[in-house]
Amino acid sequence: METSIEQILEEALKALDDASDAESVKALSVRYLGRKGAVTLFLRGISQMPPEKRAAMGKRANDIKNTIDKALKDVVHRFETAQTGLEARIDVTLPGRPVPLGSLHPISRVTQEICDIFVRLGFDIVEGPEVESDWYNFEALNIPKNHPARDMQDTFYMSDNIVLRTHTSPVQIRTMEKQPPPVAVIAPGKVYRRDSDLTHTPMFHQVEGLLVDRQISFGDLKGVLTTFVHQMFDERTSLRFRPSFFPFTEPSAEVDIVCVMCRGAGCRVCSQTGWLEILGSGMVHPALYENVGYPAGQYSGFAFGMGVERIAMLKYGIDDIRKYFENDIRFLRQF
Amino acid sequence: MRVSLSWLKEYVAIEMSIDRLVNALTMVGLEVDSVSDRYTYLDRVLVGRIRDVRPHPNADMLKCCEVDIGSGTIDVVCGAPNARKDLSVAVALPGAVLPDGTVLQKSVIRGIASEGMICSEKELGLGSDGSGVLKIDNRLTPGRSLKSALELADTVIDIDLTPNRPDCLSIIGIAREIAGIQKTPLRYPDCHLPGSGNAVDELTSVTIEAPDLCPRYAAKLLSGVTVAPSPFWLQDRLLSVDLRPINNIVDVTNFVLMELGQPLHAFDFDRLTGHRIVVRTATAGEVFTTLDQKERQLSRDMLMICDAENPVAIGGVMGGHNSEIEPGTKRVLIESAYFNPSSIRKTAKQLGLNTEASFRFERGVDPHGTVTALNRAAQLMAEISGATLVDGLIDAHPKPVDAPVISLGVSQTNRLLGTDFSAPTIATLLQSIEFDVRPAQNHHLTVTPPSFRVDVRRPEDLMEEVARLSGYNNIPLTYPAVPVRGRPLLKTRTSRNRIKQLMVGCGFNEIVTYSFIGSGDGDRLGLKNDDPRRHTVAILNPLTEEQAVMRTSLVPGLLQTLQLNLTKQERNLKLFEIGKTFFATGPDALPEEIEMLAGLWSGSRFSPSWHTSEVDTDFFDLKGVVESLLQQLDVQKVDFTRLPDDDCTYTRPGVSARIRAQETEIGLLGEIHPQALRRFDLKRTAYIFELNIDRLLPLIPDTKSSRPIPKFPVVTRDATLIVDRLIESGKILQCVDQMNEELIEALQLFDVFEGKPIPKGRKSISFRIVYRSSTRTLEDEEINRLHQKITGQLLEEFKASLPA
Repeated sequence: METSIEQILEEALKALDDASDAESVKALSVRYLGRKGAVTLFLRGISQMPPEKRAAMGKRANDIKNTIDKALKDVVHRFETAQTGLEARIDVTLPGRPVPLGSLHPISRVTQEICDIFVRLGFDIVEGPEVESDWYNFEALNIPKNHPARDMQDTFYMSDNIVLRTHTSPVQIRTMEKQPPPVAVIAPGKVYRRDSDLTHTPMFHQVEGLLVDRQISFGDLKGVLTTFVHQMFDERTSLRFRPSFFPFTEPSAEVDIVCVMCRGAGCRVCSQTGWLEILGSGMVHPALYENVGYPAGQYSGFAFGMGVERIAMLKYGIDDIRKYFENDIRFLRQF
Repeated sequence: MRVSLSWLKEYVAIEMSIDRLVNALTMVGLEVDSVSDRYTYLDRVLVGRIRDVRPHPNADMLKCCEVDIGSGTIDVVCGAPNARKDLSVAVALPGAVLPDGTVLQKSVIRGIASEGMICSEKELGLGSDGSGVLKIDNRLTPGRSLKSALELADTVIDIDLTPNRPDCLSIIGIAREIAGIQKTPLRYPDCHLPGSGNAVDELTSVTIEAPDLCPRYAAKLLSGVTVAPSPFWLQDRLLSVDLRPINNIVDVTNFVLMELGQPLHAFDFDRLTGHRIVVRTATAGEVFTTLDQKERQLSRDMLMICDAENPVAIGGVMGGHNSEIEPGTKRVLIESAYFNPSSIRKTAKQLGLNTEASFRFERGVDPHGTVTALNRAAQLMAEISGATLVDGLIDAHPKPVDAPVISLGVSQTNRLLGTDFSAPTIATLLQSIEFDVRPAQNHHLTVTPPSFRVDVRRPEDLMEEVARLSGYNNIPLTYPAVPVRGRPLLKTRTSRNRIKQLMVGCGFNEIVTYSFIGSGDGDRLGLKNDDPRRHTVAILNPLTEEQAVMRTSLVPGLLQTLQLNLTKQERNLKLFEIGKTFFATGPDALPEEIEMLAGLWSGSRFSPSWHTSEVDTDFFDLKGVVESLLQQLDVQKVDFTRLPDDDCTYTRPGVSARIRAQETEIGLLGEIHPQALRRFDLKRTAYIFELNIDRLLPLIPDTKSSRPIPKFPVVTRDATLIVDRLIESGKILQCVDQMNEELIEALQLFDVFEGKPIPKGRKSISFRIVYRSSTRTLEDEEINRLHQKITGQLLEEFKASLPA
């Protein structure tokens, strides 16, 4: 019996040496290690042997099985890695079969990015109508009729009291009417102004933000907007806050960022000032709390608004605001 | 607001460089728009030396001068009596723009060519003498720029003022802010007049019949006036801020307007009937001719300044032609008033007249500055026109404008700003711009803003002043504690984002078009008269006819986008848009806003590639997209049914389907109607779909639950039926579905065929039925029986036959 297993080994290794293709290797694998293969049969026969021999023979047979198995794998590997025939070659430089994907409009992309930042900070997203009453768009925001502040926004009218919203700020009022503080919301959406030239389109997009609670300060406004700018652009982007005027905030601040094109050296994009205006903001004017029925003197908060087109222009280096609404496919496919 | 540095320096010493000044103004809220050199208009004016003078052959009054301009000599025809050989002069070259607007060109004067102009100081805006050419220092080298040779330098700063700061609509206002920034003193002009008689009361009177609209009206009278051009210093001031000098009387009113921000008006006193002023509202239908000689239609709420009989000025907006200062005017009545801001604004808007005066009045002038400005103007007029002041002044003051007294809490201020200012620090800041500050109880300050700060009414307004003056950038950054209590994201928003992502995944490019469309776009779509999409909301003041109404459909936007891209040779387009449509609900009511999704596919089915030949897209390509989209959104029981031929006017009859889900109509799908293609100027066809997002949203389940994976194998059987070609496959599949056989797992249609050997008018439909039980392995025998029963029923139901 002992010789028999050693013979199997010898035979198997020799046969493998002679094997010329993958096919014959597969046959050898069956002949020696298959269900009715020589090694398998030998192993099964071990139980018939005298008990004192069983252990040693079993071990030896298993070793041989492993040796043959390894030799088989080596030969298979040799065949597989050998150079393939020229007839099997394909032109791998041919383009792949296209799986066409579309694109999100740059405004959608940037709006989403802005929203994601504020959602991470704990703000909820709310929406409001695009056609608004004079009350929500102006009066409730402390912009009375016959006030020069109305000149700040050229308005499309549907009637004396119905307008296309000129900003997303009416959503501030609608939200506060529905909900007591704490309020932390952002409101993205379309807005409309009667203005059309190189740098203005009659429709554009804004994201409004509002945070009202018991102890919100101007320092908090600075902190949150600085965080936003650093996430939207990068940590190197410095900001400045400068006094401005919005009827619905007091104090009001315009937020400039260092020009992302020239890093402050002065260029065409920033009109040589080194700064770019990207946000209007301020502490919510007490008149708004009166208009939504919040008790006087208990709450403070800040609000801000930004133009999405402007931010997208800076992020993607888009030079003409009108491109957004022309929808030239060669522009859209870039996003 | 334009201010010149030279004028500002009359009132405040400016210690900073221009760059620092510009930055400092911007950072206190007076945003500088531009900074310019006042004398750039002299860039094409050089120092010249007259080398030779010859008489003009064709004109006795003219001379032909040969002028050395450094780089050579030029010939200039000149009429000035003082032009002579060896004189150094200022020569304007072709292209120069003089202050009166003349653009210099090479010309031929009475037959002789002239290549420039030798200018007088008046022509150059450098003095009032227009009698001869400006003589300049002979030591100056010909060819030098006149600006540098005469060291002419002044800077003009243009400030973009916010509407809350009318106090800065004056040189003194800007100077005051600069003084506040520098903490240096401000020099006010002397506006006190000696003498306090009341001679004026015997000559004239002011009656205010509309005290709400005119709370204050002051007037002063001058006699012995000689109307003449203003002295140069006055013209120079006006020119420095782009105002055109007119005559000494009008120029003084404009000077004081710019200096102090108080609009004034000068009447020819002898042209006022009854020699008196009545302030009243206009009568309806009244017509009035303003200074610019235009007739204005007045309405009843407009405030008019009148004499004993007729209006002589539109209060606070513009004076009248009938009382204008004329060369022969001898007596002048100066008006200095405070008008109700919103009344002035209304009038100016209605008349479409925006003047320097109305601009200031509607923002609010200093209610206590009336008399100061009046005295200043009277004094200046007397000085330069040789007039005598009539003793005393009229100050009709029926409605005093109260100055607010504000209690400012120090801790409230610090809490709102996030700062740690002491009471004295706050007081010092406010005092630097003339606020009256007194300490009060309980850590409060009592603050009275100066009368010119009409924008400051509340403690928050004062807090802004404190923040502004201490510098916004010096306030430390802090971070609010936002309660951690996240609400669910808005379903409209999450669903919309998911739809967008799915459409992008299906190969579609998102577009965003204007929400307004042309009023003719409904016709272009061929909408019937009773179509709800005819109920558009019109814009009263559209920019163009193409943007006149709010859209009731996204289809015009898609078709226009297709059209634009076709003209750019882009033919393969897969586009979609999500946006609101607007439906009128009644006059003066907010419209109903309905959110829609629309998609368009035109051109090739596959992206151009070497793998496939170009095939045009068809109905079923786009239907597949809609099916995938709705399936991914887990919308159940979706079906497509044939749209009756006249249901949708802009899709092609026979190639249009209604999309329903759970019995609710949610949209449509079809090929664009050839008529609509023509009306939108399209040469290639397109397939579109529209889905009503508002109806779709409730059909998208909020939760998703997984099903067990089947344990037992499937058995499949195919069936082919030959039926009338008009029988819809959906009907056959639906019929199988309605048999409610629980062993049927799925139905797959895999072939539809028309043509030989199928008889004309019929088609073959092949489908596979997939059978499976969830509890056991099915036996062939059982399935054969069931399959036969099903096909048998179908044969009967659809008058079908089996293939030969």
